[in-house]
Amino acid sequence: MFQTDKPNLSNPEDEKRISRSEEDRSFDEVIGHIEDLLLEKYWDVFEPVEDNKLIYTDIFNEYNKAVEAYIVDYLKKVMPQFTVDTLLHQLKNNFRLLSNNFPILACLHNVIKLSEKQKQMELEGEVFEVLSTITDFLAFKEMFLDYRAVKEGKVADLSCGISITSLKSCNAEDCKDPSR
Amino acid sequence: MGLLTVLKKLKQKEKEMRILMLYVFVFVGLDNAGKTTVLKRLNGEPIDTISPTLGFNIKTLEHRGYKLNVWDVGGQKSLRSYWRNYFESTDGLVWVIDSADKRRLDDCKIELYKLLQEERLEGASLLVFANKQDMPGALSAADIADILELPNIKTHHWQIYKCSAVTGENLVDGINWIVDDIAARIFYID
Repeated sequence: MFQTDKPNLSNPEDEKRISRSEEDRSFDEVIGHIEDLLLEKYWDVFEPVEDNKLIYTDIFNEYNKAVEAYIVDYLKKVMPQFTVDTLLHQLKNNFRLLSNNFPILACLHNVIKLSEKQKQMELEGEVFEVLSTITDFLAFKEMFLDYRAVKEGKVADLSCGISITSLKSCNAEDCKDPSR
Repeated sequence: MGLLTVLKKLKQKEKEMRILMLYVFVFVGLDNAGKTTVLKRLNGEPIDTISPTLGFNIKTLEHRGYKLNVWDVGGQKSLRSYWRNYFESTDGLVWVIDSADKRRLDDCKIELYKLLQEERLEGASLLVFANKQDMPGALSAADIADILELPNIKTHHWQIYKCSAVTGENLVDGINWIVDDIAARIFYID
């Protein structure tokens, strides 16, 4: 019914995607792995009701810990003198700190709020979503519920079957296709 | 742009940002005090099918330009040891009381004072809701303040409001008080 077009690499959208820096992709990948790990481990714990189980908090903290540890690790690699204590100290002196447990995530949280405020969505949509799951519990829960719905087949997998093609590539013959 | 640059920029825009800053409230109190009902009533949701909270609810309310991030945690005895997990970065504490349940006011007092000793709640504003005023035999706010010895609390700004989550009486006034108190404190620090 739907025809799948061969990917057209000269499409400007694709070019944009390809031109994303190596670093961005590596960050996405790491966060993606951390996500998969936890999603796979805990998806059946999350239920689509308002009342949240206490264990969600533990899972949320585990997730934050993993992401924070990854970032700290990275920072230590690129700047050997980096310590969390120094950062925490600087933050405490200058800003109203939101979280003692995860200082770097607290920074990210503020950065996200600033981008929201200025509507400067410099970050690409998906990265933005991932970042919000780090600091926003409700976004985190939503991510698990989405994963659960997919796992249980409650959401049609749109990646196969339907493909969206641009109007340009649809010529008159396609429209008159008698095989429909 | 580095993280600190962004944070500094954010600091410059403080006046605006403060308004948007999430005010985190925790609703606590014994089970069956009506915490979830108060929250749902404030949020304009139906209150006819509420069952005991076994974990916690989170709601984001917009109120007078403030964004209120409210955590409502279950009050059953078995859940109380988990309350402490939700205290970090809490600006305000809303303590909800079943004013008609006189037998448990002593228990209520013990739990409240335990809470006020929490280091992470230092400086948080305390709003006490003397809920269920629509019930026969409900104690007045003054009586409850007396029994709980609220005037002895020097470590936190506090205020008590009689209210009814069923009729909606005084709920908004209480929230107005705590929002103003938190806002004044944060601006004062700056």
